[in-house]
Amino acid sequence: MPARLPYAYRYLRSKKKFPHVWCPGCGIGIVMGSIIRAIDSLGWELDDILMVSGIGCTSRMPVYVDFNTLHTTHGRALAFGTGAKMANPDMKVLAVMGDGDSMAIGGNHIIHAARRNMDITAIIVNNNNYGMTGGQFSPTTPMGARTSTTPYGMIEPDFDICKLTKAAGANYVARGDVYHVIELDSIIKKALSGSGFRVVEALAPCPTNFGRANRLGDAVNMMEMLRNDTINIVQAEKLPKEKTEGKIVRGVFVDRNEIGYIERYQKLCDRVSAGVRK
Amino acid sequence: MSEKPIKGQTKEEHCETKVKKPAVHIFPEWCKGCGICVAFCPKQVLEMGRDQKAHVVYPEKCIECALCARRCPEFAVYVSEDHIKEGKKKNGGEK
Repeated sequence: MPARLPYAYRYLRSKKKFPHVWCPGCGIGIVMGSIIRAIDSLGWELDDILMVSGIGCTSRMPVYVDFNTLHTTHGRALAFGTGAKMANPDMKVLAVMGDGDSMAIGGNHIIHAARRNMDITAIIVNNNNYGMTGGQFSPTTPMGARTSTTPYGMIEPDFDICKLTKAAGANYVARGDVYHVIELDSIIKKALSGSGFRVVEALAPCPTNFGRANRLGDAVNMMEMLRNDTINIVQAEKLPKEKTEGKIVRGVFVDRNEIGYIERYQKLCDRVSAGVRK
Repeated sequence: MSEKPIKGQTKEEHCETKVKKPAVHIFPEWCKGCGICVAFCPKQVLEMGRDQKAHVVYPEKCIECALCARRCPEFAVYVSEDHIKEGKKKNGGEK
């Protein structure tokens, strides 16, 4: 083993918890690496960051990183994160959620966090199903896709996480995928350095459940699918509509600079306390 | 990095130093053999072994783009710290 360990190991609980529980080829590990690289390039202290999660495959992430971590109940990552941010506004709160966690049981929390423009970065790893419990369909399962609870194809339309959070009023909305990992790094870095509610949707393969049910092949095939089926927003604007049809657009959709909840709350506190003194 | 030798160094010497100090390392204990690093290496430096784990086979071909390390879901691959260049796209960039 080489003597010098790479930069990522500074951020991992590498002696106790590794190798991790995710399946071979699961994209969540790549997203976690992206988050670590983004935080490393921002030069933040480990104790200044709080990583909150709910329940699910993605929500195992706080187990492996050496920040302040909070592993909460299903779908309530943003609720607990809001509380932590209000109690300690200097803390940089990062909520990691899966698609089922954020869109199904935590769906209300995400739209209200976006409406309030709460100063939290939400990173949603979208693998199109509930991976941990055996591949049941989630609100982001595409139409026609097979899962263990839709063996003849999904008949419900799916949620577009980016459009939903954009409409709800988030400050920053972007989509990346784990094949285009350098792009994902920069998207997450930009999300972390901003203010207000910031959402990053990261598309990730689930070869064990979703890939097997839809006969998409192994992890490498699913990564190739991400390469072929996604298109950057800058490229998509230049191309005619026929060429971009059926492709998932990735990139930054919203980059607003609205005042976040914490700042508005501080202003309220200042105003009220000034009024009391008079 | 191009294959060009550094000034004052013959090509043989250059290749030798590269073989001696491979930039890419793999932790076999953490590797689960998904094959992502092997499939998407732009220079085919890595190969799957019989033990279903990735191995560095041609370290001299490595261009240190670190895409294997970035795409490894298991944190089992890494490129020596001073070799990683931010957002390097020219060689081995994303297609």
